[in-house]
Amino acid sequence: MEHSTLERIKNAFADVTSVEDVKELVKAALASGIQPSEIMRNMSDGLSSAGQKYERGEFFLSELIMSGIMAQEVSQLLKSHMPNSTTSLATVVIGTVKGDIHDLGKNLVSMMLTSAGFDVVDLGVDVPADKFVEAVRARIPQIAAMSCLLTTAMNQMKETVTNLDEIGLRKNVKILVGGRPITPDFAREIRADGYGEDAIQALKVAQNAIS
Amino acid sequence: MNKRDRIFTTLDHREPDVVPITELAIDPIHIEAILGTAIANQMQLQPLTGRRRREEEVVQRTERVFTKLGFEMVACEPSAPDEWSPSPNPDGTVNDEWGRVLVYDPTSRVWIQRGSAFKSTEDFDSFAFPDPHAPGRVFTIESMKKKVGDEMALAGVLRDPFAYAWEMFQVTDFVRWLYEKPNFIRSVIERVTNFNLDLAGRMIDAGVDLIVGDGDYCEKKGPLVPVKFFKDVIFPNLRKQVEVAHRAGVKFIKHTDGNLNPILPDLAEIVDGVHSLDPSAGVEIGEVKRYYGGKLVLMGNVSVDNLCTRTPQDIVEETKECLRATAAAGGFILSSSNSWYSNAKLENCLAMVSTGRKYGRYPIGSF
Repeated sequence: MEHSTLERIKNAFADVTSVEDVKELVKAALASGIQPSEIMRNMSDGLSSAGQKYERGEFFLSELIMSGIMAQEVSQLLKSHMPNSTTSLATVVIGTVKGDIHDLGKNLVSMMLTSAGFDVVDLGVDVPADKFVEAVRARIPQIAAMSCLLTTAMNQMKETVTNLDEIGLRKNVKILVGGRPITPDFAREIRADGYGEDAIQALKVAQNAIS
Repeated sequence: MNKRDRIFTTLDHREPDVVPITELAIDPIHIEAILGTAIANQMQLQPLTGRRRREEEVVQRTERVFTKLGFEMVACEPSAPDEWSPSPNPDGTVNDEWGRVLVYDPTSRVWIQRGSAFKSTEDFDSFAFPDPHAPGRVFTIESMKKKVGDEMALAGVLRDPFAYAWEMFQVTDFVRWLYEKPNFIRSVIERVTNFNLDLAGRMIDAGVDLIVGDGDYCEKKGPLVPVKFFKDVIFPNLRKQVEVAHRAGVKFIKHTDGNLNPILPDLAEIVDGVHSLDPSAGVEIGEVKRYYGGKLVLMGNVSVDNLCTRTPQDIVEETKECLRATAAAGGFILSSSNSWYSNAKLENCLAMVSTGRKYGRYPIGSF
């Protein structure tokens, strides 16, 4: 019974069924005494499978987003069953850098990170370097993630890295960057720790950064 | 052969005297630089207001820029109805006619979407659906037609019903409803299609020479939604719009960013041309020409990313490659793979145009 329910939860994410379907499965699993951590692990496996299908071109963006929506709802459901335990893998401060107000890519990455168990602090759009620095100082995240769509905003990423360096916070945080104009070369040039071409890659890079 | 004739000849898959060149949009910063005048509170032709004086100014400026650049075609969006104005929100955003919440981007100086007025599918029931027959709906198109006459081709921009639905609801809501309430999403797309069918008729009556279907179908990796949804819902509704155009002898070019390869075979059976052919998403325009050149007019595809980051010499080479791969036998309109948006270097954009003029004379030689 346990194996079968967990398998069905994993498959619900891998096949992207529906929020209501997966929530019913999760409720049934909890009712049968399955530990929330086990449910989370299977959800994570299912999400990973959906991400791989997207990367292989078997899934489309809408399916990737839907798997993220399902995961957010399940995470919310499980929270009330794990009141005394921390489920966060790490804290991520994320934002679209100053001079740019596009947020689709940033929101997708944020959703994927949340679904995978990260605690995400979303600073929004048009975020200046000093606001990133302040958030790193105040929230003490393991990761700071910056996004932009406009080439004119790219230098803001460099400024944020420089500012973190100058006040001695750079060594405490992994910096990840992404967005349409960003390349691996640019990420290396500004001394970021990682680059994600899309939301799935960003999640992998974040997971690697804290491993 | 005048500029308009070049477009018609190209749309008929014949070789005109030179490869036509145009852009679907040019951001204000470049318009100012080209005309040498500052623009106060410039907005795109995006129909945010029914105030006609401002729209007339935009039409005049656009026509001057396109004439100065020697472009063969200008694209015009329809207008908001007479006296219509957007609903302002306390945070500085506005709601447009379609319930999209827009924010003014001071960098590009255009309005971009930030959210949606629709919080549930029930909100749509009470939504005052836009009227395609509203007075003033084709004001901009009529104004532009008066300016360009028979000298320059005029394209009417028809926003795709799928793109409207994707934007009207926040992306996450659209996706959730797509999977959980597919009939709702289908009905919205059908309703917008009916709007477009009537609007296309009005655009044609106002004198457009072709229709450009705006709104993206794809992102970098591929289609935004499963191909099956395209086949079941999006394409049948696209076909209806194309048929309205064809009945009036008007051709239809579909724009989309991203990797359209998975839907190209179906698209080639419906529309007359495609715009963008996004090289950053891996679309090879030469390959598309080889397989679909007899069916589809190709419009593109100097990389919009390269216009931002490369040198003019790089753009010269890229434009030459584009001409080599695509211009022979006609059916090709040179443009960027999106638009001249604010991040692009104007010297790169102009390098694309001058290279197109220099090497785009038929018959295309070797260079």
